[in-house]
Amino acid sequence: MSTANIPAAKSYVLLQIGDRRFAMPASEVSELAPPVRLHQFPHNSRLVSGIIVRRGRLVPVYDVCPMLTGKNSPSHQFYLVARRKFASTTEPAAIPVNGDCELVTADIVEVTSPQHVSGILMVGDASIEVLDLNALVTSGSAENELDRAGSLA
Amino acid sequence: MKIAAQDAVKSRKARRPEAVILFTVSNQLFAIAADSVQEIRSTDSLGAALEVEQQEIPKVRHTIERAHRTYYVVNACTHFGLRVVRPTLVLMLRQIRTAVLVDKIERMAEIAGIHALPRAFGGAERQWYRGLAYLEDQVIPVINPAGFLTTAEFERLDGAMAAASCNDLAAQI
Repeated sequence: MSTANIPAAKSYVLLQIGDRRFAMPASEVSELAPPVRLHQFPHNSRLVSGIIVRRGRLVPVYDVCPMLTGKNSPSHQFYLVARRKFASTTEPAAIPVNGDCELVTADIVEVTSPQHVSGILMVGDASIEVLDLNALVTSGSAENELDRAGSLA
Repeated sequence: MKIAAQDAVKSRKARRPEAVILFTVSNQLFAIAADSVQEIRSTDSLGAALEVEQQEIPKVRHTIERAHRTYYVVNACTHFGLRVVRPTLVLMLRQIRTAVLVDKIERMAEIAGIHALPRAFGGAERQWYRGLAYLEDQVIPVINPAGFLTTAEFERLDGAMAAASCNDLAAQI
C-alpha cells in the first residue's frame, strides 16, 4: 500500500462490514437505516442487491461485503446510506453494515492504493481503512476495465 | 423562464396517475401500463403459433398471427433471466409486434407516478424498465414494452422468417 502523509483531522463514521471495521467520511453519510425490507427484481448490474425505501425515496443497495471480506453478507443487517457521485449528479446509495456505527474524529493518512481506500485512520491500536464509496462500487466494473485498458495502451 | 416552465410541465406529467396491469413471471411481480396491452390470452389458445427457426434469440421460439400482423412471442422468464416456468398467459402488446408469455395476472392497479430507475442500475434493465412504482409497500419494476426486443433483434427475426418462407417456397416448387 503506497502512502502519502497528509494528516487531516475530520469526522468519520466507523462501520462493521462482515467481520471487518471500515470508516467513511461523515460528510458523505446521510443516515444509518434499520433492517428494512430489501426489494429485489431482475437486473444485471454488478454489486447491486436491490432497493430499500427511505423517507419516500428509493435507495439502491450495494452488497460490498463479499468484495471487502470474501464472505456473504449476514441476513439481518442495517444499511448505511451515503451519497454516490455520478458525472453530473449524486444519488443516495446504501451498503449493508452490522449493527451500530460510531462517529470518531481522527487524523487520516491518505493512501493511493487499493483504489477503493482513500486513507487509513488510527483509532486506538487499530488502523482502519477509509472507504471511497464511488471507487468501491465501480472498481472492476466495465467502465473501469475500459479505463484501465485505455491507460495501458 | 421558458426552460423552468417546461420542467414544471414535465414534472407534473411524470406524476400523472396511471392504470397498470400487475403480473407475475416466475413469482416476480411486474407492472405494465394497461394501455400498452392490446389483449390477454391463455396459452391454450395459441395452438396456431408457428415455430421460428432461429437460435440467436433464445427468448423467441414462436410467432402468432393477429389481424394480419406477425407477433414475436417472447418468453419473459428467459428475457429477465428468471427460472423458466410454464407460462399460462400471453400479453399481446399494442403498437409493437411483441407478445409476452407470463405466469399470471395479479390485478389492475393505479400508480401515482413512476420513480426513475436509480443510476446504480446501469445494465440491460435500463431498456427493460420505464422505472419503478412504489405500491402498497412494494417496489415494482414498470415494464418498457419496447424493451422486450431491440430493433436489431426485430431485424434478425424478420430475416429468419423471410429465409424460412423462401425455403418453404423452394420446397413447394
